[in-house]
Amino acid sequence: MDRSADTASGAQIRLRNLYKSYGEVAAVDDVSLDVPAGAFVSLLGPSGSGKTTTLNLIAGFLTPDRGDILIDNRSVADVPPHKRNIGMVFQSYSLFPHMTVADNVGFPLRMRSKLTRDEAKKRIAEMLALVQLSHLQTRYPRQLSGGQQQRVAMARALVSRPRLLLMDEPLGALDKKLREQMQTEIRRIHRSVGTTVVYVTHDQSEALTMSDLVVVMHRARIAQIGPPNALYETPTNAFVADFIGDSNLIDVAIVGVVGDRWTVKAGDGALIHAAPPAFAASAGDHAFLLIRPEDMTVRPLTKSAQETPMQGERIVGILKERSFHGDVFKLSIAVGGDLLKARVAREDGASFEVGQQIVLTWKSAAARLLPASDDVAGGRNAAP
Amino acid sequence: MTAIAEHAPPRAQAVQPQRAMPALLLLPALTWIAVFFLLPLVLMCWRSLAADGYSFKAYWIVFSSPLYTKVMLTTLESASIATVLALLLAYPMAYTLTITRGVWRGLLLMFVFIPYWVDIIVRTFSWLILLGDHGLINGLLRKLGIVHAPLPLLYSEFAVLVGMVQILLPLTIVVLFGAMLRIDRTLISAAKIHGASGWNAFRTVFFPLSLPGVYGAALLVFVLSLGFYVTPALLGSPRQTMVAQTIMVEASELLEWGQASAAGFILLVITTLIAAIYNRYFSLDRLWGGSDA
Repeated sequence: MDRSADTASGAQIRLRNLYKSYGEVAAVDDVSLDVPAGAFVSLLGPSGSGKTTTLNLIAGFLTPDRGDILIDNRSVADVPPHKRNIGMVFQSYSLFPHMTVADNVGFPLRMRSKLTRDEAKKRIAEMLALVQLSHLQTRYPRQLSGGQQQRVAMARALVSRPRLLLMDEPLGALDKKLREQMQTEIRRIHRSVGTTVVYVTHDQSEALTMSDLVVVMHRARIAQIGPPNALYETPTNAFVADFIGDSNLIDVAIVGVVGDRWTVKAGDGALIHAAPPAFAASAGDHAFLLIRPEDMTVRPLTKSAQETPMQGERIVGILKERSFHGDVFKLSIAVGGDLLKARVAREDGASFEVGQQIVLTWKSAAARLLPASDDVAGGRNAAP
Repeated sequence: MTAIAEHAPPRAQAVQPQRAMPALLLLPALTWIAVFFLLPLVLMCWRSLAADGYSFKAYWIVFSSPLYTKVMLTTLESASIATVLALLLAYPMAYTLTITRGVWRGLLLMFVFIPYWVDIIVRTFSWLILLGDHGLINGLLRKLGIVHAPLPLLYSEFAVLVGMVQILLPLTIVVLFGAMLRIDRTLISAAKIHGASGWNAFRTVFFPLSLPGVYGAALLVFVLSLGFYVTPALLGSPRQTMVAQTIMVEASELLEWGQASAAGFILLVITTLIAAIYNRYFSLDRLWGGSDA
């Protein structure tokens, strides 16, 4: 985060009530967003959520039906793409197949800058050094691996020192290991050049690890904007809670409030305590109760304890599935009509057997209420 | 052992029909080509060598005769000019097709194809009506007072080229269009976002990437042009005689089958050579939409 000296080279982006439709279907519906200068912002959402359309609007490949885009407080409504001074990395890299690596990287310089040949050569060499590809400059794109093409695309996008860099799912075509390596690489390059980055991805872990700010999009609208940890810890709606990280979402009705303790009733009648909601709610309302799997402690039910089935911060259920994920075992536990997710450390996994009765406990602060809206993937937690 | 021996034959039989299947499917077409194309070709080659005892005499005549040299040069010249003109006219049209969508593209394609579906002889005859001394063009020019005597449009190299280009255009457009469609449009977006104006994006990215298609179309059109018969026969003067006409005259009027066969065989070799050279450098697969690799 410490790049105060560089932030001057990033543009500030403002989207004002952007609207774009294809026929009857809104692809981007009333999207407003402020991107601070020099920030790394991700547009995150499932396919069809409007993130790529938003990016293409910023690039100028599409014209908004309504609304405005301001780059450094200047409307770019009438500015064609080639005059917006933007760099872009495309999903399929879109390197020019008939040009060498050096010519690909030098393309923006030939088109838009008034550098002399020697200056341009020097700049290309600098960029290739930045992406660590100096030794490949006479190769053609088809002679490069996916990761190398990705780096060339980065160098081409940044060579003319644009104040804004757009990236459209740039790592989608790479395998997992290379993807993680490139994430670090892109962060490093971002820190060293200080350009504002708008990064489109459907991969939540990518968005969370790389971004200063994440914009979650859903059905052409913004579902929530926030720093990665805030989105994870305090989602404001069930869609974000479900989309980011693993989650348990239980359909509940609010029963009553005693001081700071809210009591809600799950489908099968059990009463559960929850933290105070961040939205206006009162007794009788329906809501979703969110508990992250890692916030739940699980242990097998002991016969002697004779515990009550579902009360306060505790639920009893039956273990349906146990799967190994390296560092943890993931458990699926049937409680009433819901299938809840929990985790146990690798060394504890052996003490859980499918079919066993399980006690789940959590702190009431970890049980968060979210408004009941139609925006959630309702069937996600239902037991088969 | 016995168990294996008993089980092995059915397996082998099960595999056999699958292997035989492609051959069976190819058989009718192969038979057709063998009987009606390859066999006549072999006979023609045979005749060119055996017309007058066994010798290369027919070839020697073809190569040494000033008539054949002249006709061959005329053929190469007409074919080259027609190819270049067809490409120049087809390129903007094919490009327009790639950037239009839906109904407009369909309409434009229809205008390309309608002449293609009309018989070559009919299309060539229509030029007689347009270009003749009392034809539409001369009539109009005279009515407007631009000329007093009719321009000698017909029976000239000009008329032959006009006719050839018109016949070659639809194919040229379709081949170029196919090649252009395979150019990734996001490359143009990539050029634009990195500072290229529309013209620069075309000049530095689209045009170079369309060149393989241009070479492919050039090959096809040139090879086709070499064999033109009806168009120079109807629209040209004897000066524009192309090799196919000479072969026809030799074969059907002078009954010099040996020389006709030799000339035909030489034309075939030239055509094959051009295709082979193209294939060596550009790979013929691309014409049919194969990969560039």
